[in-house]
Amino acid sequence: MPPKKLGFVRTRINDVRSAMSATNRIAVVPDARLRHNDKEANMKTTKTSKQSSGKGRNRLEILVLSAPAIILFVGFVILPIILGAYYGLYQWKGFGSPSTNGKFVGLQNYIIALKDPNFQAAIGHPLLIMIGSLVIQGPLAVLFALLLNQKFKGRALIRTLIFVPYVVSEVIVGTGWSLLLQKTGAVNQILTSIGLPAVDWLANPKIAIWTLLLIISWKYIGFAVILMLAGLQSIPEELYEAARVDGAGFWQMQKNITLPLLAPTLRIWAFLSMIGSLQLFDLVYIVWGNYVSTTAGVSTMATYMVREGRGAGNYGYGSAVALIIFVISLIIALTYQKFVLNRDLDGALTDGKAKKKFGFKKFKNESSNTQVAASEAVLAASEGEEK
Amino acid sequence: MKVKSVLAAALAAAAVVGMSACGSSGATNDDSTITFWHNSTAGDGKAYWEQVAKDFEAANPGVKVEIQAIQNEDFAGKIQTAMQDPSTGPDVFMALGGEKTQEMIDAGQLMDLTDKISDTVKTDMKTALKAATYDNKVYGVPVSVEPGGLWYSKDLFTKAGIADTPSTWEDLLKDATTLKDAGIAPIALGAKDAWPAAHWYYWIALRECSNSVYEKSVQDKDFSDQCWVTAGEKLEELNKLNVFNDGYLTTTAQQGANSSAGLLANHKAAMELMGAWEPGVVKDLTEDGKAMADLGFFAFPSIAGGQGEKGALMGGVTYFSVNATAGDNAVKFVNFIGEQKNQEAYAKAFSTIPASEPARAVVTDPALKQVLEYLDKAPSMQLWMDTELGTNVGNALNSAVVNMLSGNGTPEDIVKAMQDAGAKG
Repeated sequence: MPPKKLGFVRTRINDVRSAMSATNRIAVVPDARLRHNDKEANMKTTKTSKQSSGKGRNRLEILVLSAPAIILFVGFVILPIILGAYYGLYQWKGFGSPSTNGKFVGLQNYIIALKDPNFQAAIGHPLLIMIGSLVIQGPLAVLFALLLNQKFKGRALIRTLIFVPYVVSEVIVGTGWSLLLQKTGAVNQILTSIGLPAVDWLANPKIAIWTLLLIISWKYIGFAVILMLAGLQSIPEELYEAARVDGAGFWQMQKNITLPLLAPTLRIWAFLSMIGSLQLFDLVYIVWGNYVSTTAGVSTMATYMVREGRGAGNYGYGSAVALIIFVISLIIALTYQKFVLNRDLDGALTDGKAKKKFGFKKFKNESSNTQVAASEAVLAASEGEEK
Repeated sequence: MKVKSVLAAALAAAAVVGMSACGSSGATNDDSTITFWHNSTAGDGKAYWEQVAKDFEAANPGVKVEIQAIQNEDFAGKIQTAMQDPSTGPDVFMALGGEKTQEMIDAGQLMDLTDKISDTVKTDMKTALKAATYDNKVYGVPVSVEPGGLWYSKDLFTKAGIADTPSTWEDLLKDATTLKDAGIAPIALGAKDAWPAAHWYYWIALRECSNSVYEKSVQDKDFSDQCWVTAGEKLEELNKLNVFNDGYLTTTAQQGANSSAGLLANHKAAMELMGAWEPGVVKDLTEDGKAMADLGFFAFPSIAGGQGEKGALMGGVTYFSVNATAGDNAVKFVNFIGEQKNQEAYAKAFSTIPASEPARAVVTDPALKQVLEYLDKAPSMQLWMDTELGTNVGNALNSAVVNMLSGNGTPEDIVKAMQDAGAKG
């Protein structure tokens, strides 16, 4: 292979290491062929010292390749957050621009929102739903996954059926359940026909939140089960065989092999479930609507934002609420990442430690990504052999 | 490699340019094309606007009317976004009314039509024009007037043995109880949407508060007068009789047979408080899709001891506004809409009451004719209270009424909610 081409391969690997270390770390591990090329390339580049011009092109490539993603991210994530924070400082109706048609009120919107008992309730409900979904769905999903991991007739059918609610659109699920659970709906008609009293499933504030939890569990358990099943597939069969040889029973095996090895999957599922609960909107909006969700005690942060922001035409106030929601979600997500998820994501998302220790410049060279470090070690070893 | 990176850069640049290009699909300052937004996405209404546009193009060669029909629920949000920059917004569009229109006027987005409307519009629509007048300036040409009142099923009233429709609050309560005792749900209420429930409060307030107190309170957003609390107490009195349909808190207003309009259409409830659009809505919800044969109308009853003007009505006026940056053809177009023959066609297409008084002769629906009778006698017609108050206070009022009906608030809380809302916007 011509040296120039090999130089490119080398620079590509550098790119991947420095720019992409935040993404999928598995992709970073160079395969055998690449490693081989890399090794040769390394020798060539040290000999011809083409590195400086390579670096410039390197940067250009990073710039060009990441530009679309960065533009989208800045344009549709970062900029809206900044603008939202800015709008939140105004009493503004959404007509014209806040500085000319609105009134600057400083942090007043944020203070009113945090003091509003309706908003406090709307923060509380998703937190309750978050805990409720973890407690209800987690154990159930593991049990279902264990069951569906066994071989029996009709397994594929049941696996499909349990996943169906997750695939159905939220609007359809919401409309369906709201019709079923009406005071004069099908569920109550069945109840009264067998002599049980009709229940106000939706409007009674003591019951409504449990109804919501039930619908959510019904809808999302399929997703949890599929995740757990995938997790179970990755546990090597040999471990069970070894345990069986040692005379372990079924539940002992589940407790000592399955659960510990399923833990990463559980942690990721819990994370997704938490984010989903915090952002809950469509189901509540369809089943209860903006107004009754408050009186029935199932309002969420998002329904409050829509009601008080868009519904009331207070775009300034709504933006302030949106920013508060963002901060709350961010704090919860980061806390979870730091204390629970960090062992799964070490080096991929949270590189804080290395940064603090070595400073950013040094960090660039002394990649803290263990996987990259490992492959670097392999490289060094093979290079040493060559020399 | 270089070629590739150049290509990639070009692609990224093209994507960005392409995205920003999407934003400018609105109107142009080119006067020969008028972009026109309305909210009738189906049926006779949609066909009516297409016909009007065609007639206008025929009468004004070289002018093109570009129609965009937008779903009613999306309309307010879309117009607000499109008018961020009036030069790219539509030229003629259905106005949002009340304080939202006031806000658009303040933002300089609407054209002052005071000296531009035709004499036909000025004389034929004298009363309806008031709804489109702000600070003595006209900002729109009305097309329909939709006063509210109680719509009822004559058959169910007869079945319960009620001969005359109630004309006083006491009669209404009595008749509601009679209906309930006969095993009929007396009043359909779509409280999930909040505004149908709040309409009860508006009407009671209109009867309780004197005309001057009502207008001053709504204008200054000061609800300290006792009549605002009394209105809430009266509504609570009605609610305590359990005369609303079972599960009214999760009932919608117009969606499907289980909605409040659907309950009335299918004889599952005896009456509903609604605007003059009710016959059209009910028609779509009956089992056979035909107009409800026994649908009747009576005005909101008077309340003994109330200070309100006798026979005063409340309702909506639909009107069309012109973009401040639009040209003369757009003005011509709104005047064209206001002509008598177009108004007559409008009344037929939408089965409603046209804004033009001479055009009202074409109304044939018996229930609508009854509405017209009350309208002719009415000393005044207020706009829907939430429209008049603007979305901020209006939304707070609607939520507070639902709160009270669900047992989570008091009549005083309604007044407090309206006052608190002031701080948010």
